[in-house]
Amino acid sequence: MARYAMVFDTRRCIGCHSCTVACRTKNELPIDMIYNPVTTVGPTGVYPKLSMVHMPLICMHCDNPPCVDACPTCASQRRDDGIVFVEDKKCVGCLACVMACPYGARVKNHESGAVQKCDFCKDRVDEGLLPFCVLTCHQKARVFGDLDDETSEVYKLVNGERTVRLLAELGTEPYAFYIYG
Amino acid sequence: MSQKHEGWGWMLAVDFFFAGMGGAMLVIAGIADLFVGEGRTSWLASFLGAAFMAMGSGLLIFELGRPFQSWRVFMNPKAILTVGAWVMSLAICAGLVYTTFSFAIFPWSDWLIVRKLIAIFMVVTGLIVATYPGVLLGRLKGRPLWVGPGMTSLFLTSSLVTAFAAHILSGMIVAPATIGDVLGRFPAITAVLLAVQLLLWVSYMWVKISGATEAEAVAARRLLCGEYAASFKYGLMLVGTVLPLVLVLVSSPLYQALGAVLVLVGGFILRMLVIYAGGADRTWLPGEPKYRSRLPHGDEAFMKAWNSK
Repeated sequence: MARYAMVFDTRRCIGCHSCTVACRTKNELPIDMIYNPVTTVGPTGVYPKLSMVHMPLICMHCDNPPCVDACPTCASQRRDDGIVFVEDKKCVGCLACVMACPYGARVKNHESGAVQKCDFCKDRVDEGLLPFCVLTCHQKARVFGDLDDETSEVYKLVNGERTVRLLAELGTEPYAFYIYG
Repeated sequence: MSQKHEGWGWMLAVDFFFAGMGGAMLVIAGIADLFVGEGRTSWLASFLGAAFMAMGSGLLIFELGRPFQSWRVFMNPKAILTVGAWVMSLAICAGLVYTTFSFAIFPWSDWLIVRKLIAIFMVVTGLIVATYPGVLLGRLKGRPLWVGPGMTSLFLTSSLVTAFAAHILSGMIVAPATIGDVLGRFPAITAVLLAVQLLLWVSYMWVKISGATEAEAVAARRLLCGEYAASFKYGLMLVGTVLPLVLVLVSSPLYQALGAVLVLVGGFILRMLVIYAGGADRTWLPGEPKYRSRLPHGDEAFMKAWNSK
């Protein structure tokens, strides 16, 4: 069984927000919903040694997802391949998962009343395709793949580069990894 | 990731207030019945305990994005909300059935063993209902104001103190049949619990300010010197805690009633403050506060034009 993960190479990300737009288009999101924003840290430092980092944020598809534990209706689920998703018809919009997620990755759709989130484009992944944000990133700052496959680029990056996980101290075991410069 | 920061609203805060108070009212009624000889609190108190919990549940349903599917919250036994929903439902039933024992028209009103068993059930379920909102909030790792076991103590104490206040008021409206001197001690117990609540809040804020993370300190400062400071200091601490602590100790029913009402006001303010101040804060990711500060709020001209399409 695969264990999907995403690596963000912040050295490559230029903060163009193409991934954000692509995600919204693919998922037909209302105007007030974003699954994957790109934040900017900086500029920091003192001239001429300045730096600025763009941080693409998504659902971290945690191995120990607090959102799944918090969901009273079993709408929030984690597949065996690690993808965390919301089964829309079961969601009652109680926001328990929204409050439980330390990454702010979940958002209520005010038209449907349900909570939605990034699901790694599981419909595309099941067909052997890449998530739409990864496909769209022209800087190749996003890398998606199977972390259990030693030949995958994701495996090589996670095990070869100095990657970090956001809020790792909370013990949620996020499966989104970041490479800093 | 939403453009706005989504969170629970006032209906959940009121649900926590009603559920905590109602659950603890049943605990007090049950304990009085079980351990105070022939002691029975006013039937109005056990009825109101169940009714408050039912009202809280109703508000919780309206808070849902899809209220007509609220039955689904009973489906995941691993989720604390599911446990809370089940136990609250059972406590409501227990409270209503227990109330019927106060009326001779019901043929089972003199079934002593059954009444005692229901009283035990009421104590257990009421205690869980009074406690679980604190556990629910304390488990949320990304919410710096809430995270940790302290919230459980604060909620349980507030639930008990508001329940004693509600019992005092209920006893003034419908006098209990057999509780005797015990009801007379409720104001003193309320005062002790108010003192404990004051001490717990001081220590909780102290721990958060000097606590594990900077995010916790920021969240605590929001209550102490930020946008919620006036409500916290004057609403919860002064009007909802210190003032009623003095009033309930005055041996005048009028002052005690006024003190009891202020305790209820304090309990309500506590829930609102905790939900709004805690829900507004998360342990932010790098660059996130700046990113969110630049997002539209929905009242901009272009957003209105878009939404009116």
